[in-house]
Amino acid sequence: MAEYTAKKLVQMLITVLGVITLVFFTLRLIPGDAASAMAGDTLSGEALQALREQMGLDEPLVNQYLGFLRDLVTVDLGETITTRIPIAELLLRALPITLSIALATIVLSILISIPLGTLAAFMAHKGRNWLDNGLTGAAMIIDLMPSFWMALVLLLIFSLGLGWFPASGQLNWSDPWALVLRLALPVIVLSLSQVATLARITRTAVLEVLNEDYVRTARSMGWSELRVLFRHALKNAALPIATVVGLSFGNLLGGTVIVEFIFTIPGVGNLLISGINSRDYQLVQTLIVFYALLFVVINFATDLIYKTLDPRVQF
Amino acid sequence: MTDITLTTTSAPKTGPFAILLAASRHPLLSHAKVRLALLILIPILVLTILAPVLPIQKPLETNLRAMMQFPSIEHVFGTDKMGRDIFSRTLAGVQISLLVGFSVASIALTFGMVLGTLAGFYGGWLDRAIMTVVDIFLAFPSLLLAIGLVSVMGTGIVPVIFAISLADVPRFIRLQRSQVLSLRSRAFIDAARTVDASQYWLMTRHIVPNTIAPMLVAASIAAANAILVEASLSFLGLGIMPPQPSLGNIVRDGQTYLEQAWWISTLPGVVILLIAIGLHFLSDGVRELLDPRSH
Repeated sequence: MAEYTAKKLVQMLITVLGVITLVFFTLRLIPGDAASAMAGDTLSGEALQALREQMGLDEPLVNQYLGFLRDLVTVDLGETITTRIPIAELLLRALPITLSIALATIVLSILISIPLGTLAAFMAHKGRNWLDNGLTGAAMIIDLMPSFWMALVLLLIFSLGLGWFPASGQLNWSDPWALVLRLALPVIVLSLSQVATLARITRTAVLEVLNEDYVRTARSMGWSELRVLFRHALKNAALPIATVVGLSFGNLLGGTVIVEFIFTIPGVGNLLISGINSRDYQLVQTLIVFYALLFVVINFATDLIYKTLDPRVQF
Repeated sequence: MTDITLTTTSAPKTGPFAILLAASRHPLLSHAKVRLALLILIPILVLTILAPVLPIQKPLETNLRAMMQFPSIEHVFGTDKMGRDIFSRTLAGVQISLLVGFSVASIALTFGMVLGTLAGFYGGWLDRAIMTVVDIFLAFPSLLLAIGLVSVMGTGIVPVIFAISLADVPRFIRLQRSQVLSLRSRAFIDAARTVDASQYWLMTRHIVPNTIAPMLVAASIAAANAILVEASLSFLGLGIMPPQPSLGNIVRDGQTYLEQAWWISTLPGVVILLIAIGLHFLSDGVRELLDPRSH
């Protein structure tokens, strides 16, 4: 296990270095340079030169690259170019919001999809396929639906039509119930597509186990269905479920950008959009690197969980 | 791997009608999922192509006497704040969507096939170099990679196609490489080697033809996905910019008037969903036809 962890860790660090390098050089590909792209037509001559110096663009490329690496390692994220607010401060304010949404989505979708998928598998095993077919059909439609459109339709029905959830407004951390209502729709939108995938995976994994000889043996020994379910089926289904939760995290991060934008939630996604709109490359490059790091670390954790759940996995 | 090819059996008679008749008997068209897919996609395609000659308002034309009108015979999808016809704008948006979907799928297929084959076939340092870069790209969630790239390259159709392709190519390289790796050790390749087949011959005659079917399936999924990503980018204001209509930015425009004019945002979204469902059934049907195990 230790050797496996070390190997994966080295692999992860190489990827991280690659990610940072890629982001750095992609930003240098901007026609002209980042400073003139940011300033547009508003600055010229000395003012533009001052901006270049502020962004460190006047230094040799190698120094810029090493400086970028050093800043990331020492978590010195700098300031936004336009408003001169420390990026670390903005990120620390936005991150809990985005992470709460992501975490609530994962918990909610697991709570829904595991019972649903298990039930579908049991019924399919008994020859009753309607839940199974319905699940497959619904999952397909949800998968193919643009998430921003699904969000708008739910917003239209449940916020504007029925008035169950507020469509906008401040996030109030001191009033938990108001917070739940405010974040409910975004979490539901994100959960729907997670459930579509997870319920199908659970269903397939459980169904596979139900057809195994050892399950038949357990049944012939007079075990109750529930005991078969918990002892055998769910235990073996845990592996593919954990993997899919980990792998779908990237999509989930992309999804948070969209729901934060629609429901005007001041999370990392909205920060990114505002950074792009104000051409604040300092902010954008930090956030993109941050997203990639988060994704890489989650994948690393998924690998480790996978190995723990199934020791047969080889490097 | 499979003997079924996509070419139609030669029709005995020539002429357009005979060809159509022969084509309609092709197994591809008798498959239920493919038929359903074509039933959805062909009308959308025909309407999109005919859009300029249909008796509807032009996509950019405003009409201040018909603002925010509910869908009617004259304006099938209703009108927006400036009295523009949503149906006509949607068709113009579909044109962009189809262009993006087709371009991204072709680019991803081409680069994926070439680089994936080279990496899988030759192995060694070339494989390691290609796969290292692939792994770096795969470290970004694909929508976020596309967002990051358009933030650098700017908005508009070319940057959007480029950004989505760049997020897809690594996935295609990986798929092609894994196919090549599993084919490379098969008996028929060894057999070809024993009769001194050249590397080029092995690759082009034995390996690549056997990888095409799954890659085509992946390409049609990539096309559907690219259409969704373009719509998402345009919705976020980072893709195709107004007044040029795209399905994403029409939905975005309507978001402000969701309460007064729900049709502006919702109806174009239904069209995106229909295209995605059509492409999904198409890829599913083709996959089932090409893979004897799934019959």
